[in-house]
Amino acid sequence: MALDEPIHGPFAEFLDDYFVECEEHLGVARRSLLALEPSVGQPNPDRLLLDELFRCFHSIKGLSAMVDVRAAEQLAHQMESYLSALRKRQILTTSGLESLIAGVIMMEQVIAARRAGASPPDIASLLHRFSALASLEEGSPSCAPVDEPTLPEPEIGPLRPGESVWQFTFAPTPELAARGVNVNTVRERLQAVGEVVQAIPLLHVAGRIAFRFVVRSNAAESSFAVWERDSIHYEPYASTSKAGDALVESALPSDTEQRPAAPVPVSPLGGSNLVRVDLSRLDELMRMVGELVISRAHLDDTLKRASSAMQPADWRTLQDTNLALERQLRDLREGVMRVRMVPVREVFARMQFVVRDLTRESGKKVALELSGQDTEIDKFVVERMMDPLLHLVRNAVSHGLETSSDRAASGKSPEGHLSLRASTTGETILIEVEDDGRGIDAERVFARARTLGLVAAETAPTASLLDVLCAAGFSTRDVADRASGRGVGMAVVRTAVEELGGSLALDTTVGRGTRFTIQLPLTLAIADALIVEIAGQRYAVPQVSIREVIRIEDAELTVLENNEVLYYRGGVLPLMRLSEYFGLDSAAQQVRYALVTGEGLRAVGLAVDRVLGLREVVVRPLTDPLVRVSGIAGATELGDGHAVLILDASGLARSSRQSGKRDNLRLNALASPALATAR
Amino acid sequence: MKNILVVDDSATMRRMVMASLRTLTEVAFHEAANGLEAIERLALAPIDLMTLDLNMPDMHGLEVVKFVRRHPMYERIPVIVLTTRSDEDSRGTALTGGASLYLTKPFDPAVLASRVREFMNLP
Repeated sequence: MALDEPIHGPFAEFLDDYFVECEEHLGVARRSLLALEPSVGQPNPDRLLLDELFRCFHSIKGLSAMVDVRAAEQLAHQMESYLSALRKRQILTTSGLESLIAGVIMMEQVIAARRAGASPPDIASLLHRFSALASLEEGSPSCAPVDEPTLPEPEIGPLRPGESVWQFTFAPTPELAARGVNVNTVRERLQAVGEVVQAIPLLHVAGRIAFRFVVRSNAAESSFAVWERDSIHYEPYASTSKAGDALVESALPSDTEQRPAAPVPVSPLGGSNLVRVDLSRLDELMRMVGELVISRAHLDDTLKRASSAMQPADWRTLQDTNLALERQLRDLREGVMRVRMVPVREVFARMQFVVRDLTRESGKKVALELSGQDTEIDKFVVERMMDPLLHLVRNAVSHGLETSSDRAASGKSPEGHLSLRASTTGETILIEVEDDGRGIDAERVFARARTLGLVAAETAPTASLLDVLCAAGFSTRDVADRASGRGVGMAVVRTAVEELGGSLALDTTVGRGTRFTIQLPLTLAIADALIVEIAGQRYAVPQVSIREVIRIEDAELTVLENNEVLYYRGGVLPLMRLSEYFGLDSAAQQVRYALVTGEGLRAVGLAVDRVLGLREVVVRPLTDPLVRVSGIAGATELGDGHAVLILDASGLARSSRQSGKRDNLRLNALASPALATAR
Repeated sequence: MKNILVVDDSATMRRMVMASLRTLTEVAFHEAANGLEAIERLALAPIDLMTLDLNMPDMHGLEVVKFVRRHPMYERIPVIVLTTRSDEDSRGTALTGGASLYLTKPFDPAVLASRVREFMNLP
């Protein structure tokens, strides 16, 4: 086995699982570290949090060793040693917490590097930092021994009013287990009614295994009396045994299994309710729902054609069924979509973490406010939004927010405010990153852009600030700093958002602050689309990317610098003839409508001949690199069995601006192989 | 059919252990993610051998070993402790506490498989 895979070791097949599990552990670690922050400098930091952190790094260490990610193993080992020293008696210092935060961030990078097949970042200085921290505590070895396991008397502590202490015993049997009553679910039930202060196994006299739980709870006795039928017995707790005797105690009533087993409803707490599913399986499920949507559209078309040939009553019944089917399909589609959704909480927690790290570096004071953390976003989208959001947050802290003294000088609170908000509106998701910092000085940005040659002097007044910021190669800094100079400019942010079919907007006031708003479609797989006709061919255009459909009168068209423009809302809108762009035969030139897409300077009118209607379409990406064409997002099948291409409106708007180098593609030739790939 | 109980709080690690032992025939695997669950499994299935992680959320692996050794019905079950670097200091404690074998992660899957064969008298 080792010979077959000399580079990756025998457990290489588990790498994907490794990445997923590490991500989970790091998520827990981030939350625990943020929760630990208030106890900096206090004696006895929260033991449970430290235990949790310790276990995260312990697990990462073990797994990293198995899949041979040495840097992660070493780092986790040092962090674990430090945590183990901390658990003994120490005070968590600011530098300790900061080192742990830096450790988590470094761990992310180490794992990301392994995932990308790149060489790991240098961890030597961080390792050194942890061993220095651990050795600060005289006598604590760098390899801390495992705590000697003990079975102490439960530490019950002072009772709050209305609380009592109960002792529960539970003996598992295969019958109970088959009903979902097992030690894990029993523990969960008890945790739901109070605090489990002890959970230990008992050696029963009859040689059977049982468990004892000591629980402090203010719940009424009646709430667990009904658990008797699940063989969960209870009595008031009395401290009887000395430490160590617990293992051999006999605590079960003798007639345990004699009671008739009443039919018991399945416990709502039965087992762990979480399932981990590979995203590709959900893609497959979504694909099948997509097939259904197409079949129903087919049925819809057939029904319309059949209306004249059928008895009205029969037809209406069929039509009712058809409409019910449509509703049910929408529900099904939403159900599948919901499965793919994850709360944005985890992303926000990561931002919280990054802000924490940045404020330490920059010495600024930042209060981070999060809202809408339960907003759910498609897992695929979340992963692609991580870097753009990180960039916006980094920008806000390092450029947007001022130092405390600058803020005080301009009459602001010394603490800067940064808000991360998420919300859903209909079919779209909004994510906002807002700061109350110095705002973006448009004049300075334009001046800089002119210096860099990105904007011609005369166009500056009409160009939108966001367009300039997002121009490739734009930076207001002459020297990139660590926080923002990572090569992920605003251009990349906007591209990432647009690739997901979303849009980016900017709102800024000098001296008051800046807000970036990201708008994203809720799902990528099925979309409402306008069906349009260009030179006799039909195309689908996702509705979410179209701001408006306007009718064109020939009189409104003007030619300006070799471009056709349209007067539109007090300005001019460049018109892009899609028939020309795609090289279609369009002798007739009967353009009648423009689909307005893009914001501000990037708004473009896509000229089409006719608008045929609005439909739900299933987006099939074109995966074959040979048929990938700019301006085409994918393909779909309409209900009448015909395939049409889906236009990428924002991509078209982008290439319209670089109109000098338009691809001259023979789309007719493309259509058939493209669709063959798409299916 | 022999029954092997794989105890580890990491699902990935449990799969790695089972993958290491997939060359064994006539074996069924049972899994537990914490100490109490491990002990419960003993009551629910005729377990012939246990692989055991030490650092688990509710109960230390050494407590599990001690419990198993004190229980008349399960005291003979071979327990292979699989643990991570730096727990070396607990090797002695684990072996005196009743562990049959102590392997450190990363373990060699072939070594694990051959030791399990020995313990279970498998061909």
